[in-house]
Amino acid sequence: MSDQPAVVLKGLTKTYGTGALAFQALKGIDLTVPQGEFMMLVGPSGSGKTTLLSILGCVLTPTSGEAFLFGEPLHGRKESELPDLRLSYIGFIFQGNNLLPALNLEDNVAFPLELRGKSRSEALTEAREVLSAVGLADKMKRHPDDLSGGQRQRVAVARAVAGRPPLILADEPTAALDAETGQQVTQLLKTLSTERGHTVVVVTHDNRIFHYADRTVHIEDGLLVRPPENH
Amino acid sequence: MSAFAQPIRTRPGFFKRWQTMGVIGVRMMFHDKLKLVGTLFGVVFAVVLGNFQVGTFMSLLFKNRMFVENAQVDVWVTPPGTRQFQGGTPLNDSQLNRARTVPGVAWAEPLIVQAVQLKLPNGGSEPVSLVGTRAPRFAGGPWNLVSGQTDALLQPDAVIFEDAEREKFGGLNLGSVRELGGHHVQAVGFTWGLLPFAPAYAFAEQTLVREITKQPVDKHTFLVVGAAPGVSKTELRERLQLALPDTRVMTRDEYLSEILKYIVFATQIGFSFGTSTFMGLLVGLITVALSMFSSVVDNMRQFGTLKAIGATMGDLARLLFVQAMVYAVVGSLIGLGMMSALVQGIRNPQLTPILPGVSVAITFGLMIGVCLVASVLALFRLRQLEPAMVFR
Ligand SMILES: Nc1ncnc2c1ncn2[C@@H]1O[C@H](COP(=O)(O)OP(=O)(O)OP(=O)(O)O)[C@@H](O)[C@H]1O
Ligand SMILES: [Mg+2]
Repeated sequence: MSDQPAVVLKGLTKTYGTGALAFQALKGIDLTVPQGEFMMLVGPSGSGKTTLLSILGCVLTPTSGEAFLFGEPLHGRKESELPDLRLSYIGFIFQGNNLLPALNLEDNVAFPLELRGKSRSEALTEAREVLSAVGLADKMKRHPDDLSGGQRQRVAVARAVAGRPPLILADEPTAALDAETGQQVTQLLKTLSTERGHTVVVVTHDNRIFHYADRTVHIEDGLLVRPPENH
Repeated sequence: MSAFAQPIRTRPGFFKRWQTMGVIGVRMMFHDKLKLVGTLFGVVFAVVLGNFQVGTFMSLLFKNRMFVENAQVDVWVTPPGTRQFQGGTPLNDSQLNRARTVPGVAWAEPLIVQAVQLKLPNGGSEPVSLVGTRAPRFAGGPWNLVSGQTDALLQPDAVIFEDAEREKFGGLNLGSVRELGGHHVQAVGFTWGLLPFAPAYAFAEQTLVREITKQPVDKHTFLVVGAAPGVSKTELRERLQLALPDTRVMTRDEYLSEILKYIVFATQIGFSFGTSTFMGLLVGLITVALSMFSSVVDNMRQFGTLKAIGATMGDLARLLFVQAMVYAVVGSLIGLGMMSALVQGIRNPQLTPILPGVSVAITFGLMIGVCLVASVLALFRLRQLEPAMVFR
């Protein structure tokens, strides 16, 4: 398994709705992401970035084609099998503030670990380690509402990498941040994922962070396109 | 091992899943304090209203059955059509004599119960339910004496009154003299808690009661019968009923359940208490359901996040279940606490609600049921939640 690519997509399509309302958001995607790559997925609004990321994240099933995470097929899965796949493979960073306001920072980071069977004390120990790694050692008992946007995204990074899931998926992680904070958060994600051996796919519009990517993949109207020129 | 992160295959066990989701559920409840208070209010409301209604009904039932319950009587011969503890057409001596000849009857005594006015020192008057029992057996009371003794009724003009009414009767003490139905009587003892819905019971020897009430010697309100040792009460009741066709004969237990049936079915009381208890439960259910439902709707994004990260529908069900249990148990405890404070606070022998153990157990059961229904409704809303929504 460890020599498999992190992601393999072959002729992947996704159609929303049926009949007259049917809309094909992905029209046949072929993509391979090797383990350890820090990849960015860019494209205009409505091009299918979030749709693609949702399939990679096992929150959405493809309509046709094949998808593999570390050699394990995602296509032809039942809805009920998906949560378990997410726990096995994925760490998520969402665009907005998706921390649980009722939990303090260490609990926010610890609960995905507990969902994976870690004991409470193990989970808390690891949560504190990762929170220290993102520079929030002094805020572990605070609640998300007490934090700035940049701090919250750092917690989101910590939550995603905690437990070392092999694939980190981020949808517009810097959209709500100013330029400098966006750069810092991306830098943090890059450093941590390199250190800890995560594969990362980041969807972004934000050209100020493109230079962190090992590779940038462009999508337009549901299809991957060759970049106009190499950066 | 590769330097790259590997798939995570560990999963929590049964208990761990409950713990993880339960802790999150409780934290979420306490995060939204306003909703917490609102929901608890609903549960407390249902508990207090329900228990108050049931408790008051129990108290009413207790008052109506008090006499039959406490008089040491095996079988009652009552006027035809009797359904509660109330006299009707008087029974007569020939019926009494016939009862005494029925095999298995150890003894049969007449009993008189009649409302009489007690003249107060200040000139006013208060009614009492005067009970005439016969020496030396005194079948039919008095009971629950707090001062004096039953045998004191053998003294001339002796009456035993209810202790809780002493104030009302103009500062009645042992030895106090009052005019009862135009007759001078003397208080020789006091009972405690003998307050039916009707005026308080007072007891005197039957001869004195007949003088006071002008009830002829051969007319009786009830006939009370004791069974000979080893004789079945229902069999004795059957024999007595055959011997006394123009009466209604009941064993003690039959009489008690007849009064219950009368209150529940023949009066509006059962219906009205039932309705208001049901309304209380309904209001509780609606409040809890609405509040759990709106908390799910308000926190859709959080539930989406939980789901996206890997919580299953089962996990979310665990979360809601734990919330429901906390609402039910905490709400019931607060509600029952308020009820018992209320019951203690108005501890007098008037119409105080009774809070029996079963009612406490039923309260917990019902509230847990109500909160579980609410959580299932909320869960239905969550079923439609797409985890992909977290990316929107
Ligand atoms: N649940 C849905 N039902 C129907 N159509 C959808 C749904 N989700 C997305 N779409 C459509 O699919 C297309 C691709 O959407 P997607 O969200 O993947 O785009 P995107 O590249 O992430 O856009 P943006 O940059 O604005 O986030 C859009 O035209 C969108 O309207
Ligand atoms: Mg998008």
